[in-house]
Amino acid sequence: MKELRNNLLVLAIAVLCCAPIGWAQAPAGPQAPPPAASTPPDAAAKPIVETDLTAIPVPSADAHAKGDPDGNSTGNASDVTVADPKKGLTIGDVANQVGQNKIAINFVWTLITGYLVMFMQLGFALLETGLARAKNANHTMMMNLAVYGIGMFAYWLIGFAIQMGGVGAVANLGGTAPLSAEFTTTLFGKPFGLFGQHGFLLMHKGTYDVGVMVLFLFQMVFMDTGATIPTGAAIERWKFSAFAVTSFFFAALTYPLFANWAWGGGWLAGLGTNFGLGKGYCDFAGSGVVHAVGGVSALAIAMILGPRIGKFTRDGRPQVILAHDIVLVITGCLILAFGWFGFNPGSTLGASGNGNLRISSVAVNTMLASATGLLGAMFYMWKVYKKPDASMTGNGFLAGLVAITAPSGFVNPVGAAIIGLVAGVLVCISVAFIERTLKIDDPVGAVSVHGVCGLWGVISLGLFADGKSNYGGAWNGVNGSVTGLFYGDASQLVAQLIGVATIVGFVFTVSFLFAWVIDLIMGQRASAKSELEGLDLPEMGAMAYPEFELKSPSWRADSNG
Amino acid sequence: MIPIGIIVTFLGFVISLLSLTLASSVTGRMVLVLLGLAVSLFGILGLLNRAYNKKAIWKQG
Repeated sequence: MKELRNNLLVLAIAVLCCAPIGWAQAPAGPQAPPPAASTPPDAAAKPIVETDLTAIPVPSADAHAKGDPDGNSTGNASDVTVADPKKGLTIGDVANQVGQNKIAINFVWTLITGYLVMFMQLGFALLETGLARAKNANHTMMMNLAVYGIGMFAYWLIGFAIQMGGVGAVANLGGTAPLSAEFTTTLFGKPFGLFGQHGFLLMHKGTYDVGVMVLFLFQMVFMDTGATIPTGAAIERWKFSAFAVTSFFFAALTYPLFANWAWGGGWLAGLGTNFGLGKGYCDFAGSGVVHAVGGVSALAIAMILGPRIGKFTRDGRPQVILAHDIVLVITGCLILAFGWFGFNPGSTLGASGNGNLRISSVAVNTMLASATGLLGAMFYMWKVYKKPDASMTGNGFLAGLVAITAPSGFVNPVGAAIIGLVAGVLVCISVAFIERTLKIDDPVGAVSVHGVCGLWGVISLGLFADGKSNYGGAWNGVNGSVTGLFYGDASQLVAQLIGVATIVGFVFTVSFLFAWVIDLIMGQRASAKSELEGLDLPEMGAMAYPEFELKSPSWRADSNG
Repeated sequence: MIPIGIIVTFLGFVISLLSLTLASSVTGRMVLVLLGLAVSLFGILGLLNRAYNKKAIWKQG
């Protein structure tokens, strides 16, 4: 009897709980009638006049006091800011509110996607630390943490002004008008923008401005993504002090200079207006600006540092140095992929107006390329090495993302899938080539993932851009949509190749020179003794895993009797 | 060898840049840009990397 009573009680509770769900899914009252077919078009297009505004019903104060459980009356005409209470609500007030709402949507979109990109720092930290040996885990994590602060400080002091100080008004962010001074020289009879001059410390020349702040936050986290790429190629042997100085220069000068040329109104962006090359150098979210620049800097540092002790035998054969935690590696990859939804769709710098609803297409392209990159690498490794290697599959996943970053705003889903697939295979071939042929030790594959696949992303834009995107009717000051070789514009590919040549020839040279001079002055590489011991204790003063005891197989055999 | 490698790498960039004025057709510019890219890659992989590999840690025993 007691059991029956309990069952009835449970049944009654279940019915009570389900009832509101049923109500919620029922149609909410009578539907609004469709517009009458007989309405003349000119009546529908009739402009709003002041008297229309006074006729808008507004809930009374008494109605508000009773609460608004269904949410239908919260947010109405009474919430529009009125400039002159004596006049009441005017068309000017409504227009101002609409304008501010548009900019507010774009601010919130850009800030939130910027926060997602900041979260990628954790992905890099886990990925690199997982691929290092346990004795270097603290050092690797610390490099990934410190680069955030060092990079941001340098970028705030100098970098942002060099990159964006002459970008001019960014319409999606409501202006950013104070960023109006680009240093320009004349070359081949055309203006060549070289670097920006406003925005030092975010106070200089009126840059203490809400729009400028949004732009700074978003661009800062992009720069920091680039700055953390070289740490991956240099783990287990980079002296911390040298890392700190090198990272400062990267954030202050190397990165901002190229970013200005591509995104800040510099000469690469002007290749379309000045030399008739497509829409100028295009890089939607930074395959070139962020990843390839970080990748070639990683190559320069890896070459100067040289390989880890034990990586190559005396006859030059590469040896496998095992990752200490593949769980961290894959977790890092997935966090990075999540953050990429900020990286690429956020690069519209807005969600409202100017064709920004393309954010859905950008996000889907990003997903598709990551999937095909993953599949390309996984099946390549399975076929060639007989196992679907986890770390290389992770690298293929990231390679697809890196490659789609530049073209994500300009290609269709099929193009995105092909770009990712090529990147997934390319990264496997590149890792083997760099290790076996060039004898360069890149423990995480940073040069291949970010450098090689970043350059492929830049080139692929010049091939696959389908001419369907339209962000306000023009790109880089040239009317029309970005269109690649396969859709009829070969000159866009030339603009992209000039960008590639600039990254390889100029950015690499600058990165190498900085790293080389630092090497001559203070030395880039930790001592052999520190390296063999693991950098955690000599460089950081503490181990990442103090409870670990590293025991040799012979000791284990003895203790087991 | 290292200073020469740096100069050759930079020279590749200069060749690519000169394509903007030395050629007016898309094909001509593309050829010059690719030539500049090849020169830069030779500077990096053929000169700089070779210089570092000559004194690599794994060759020192």
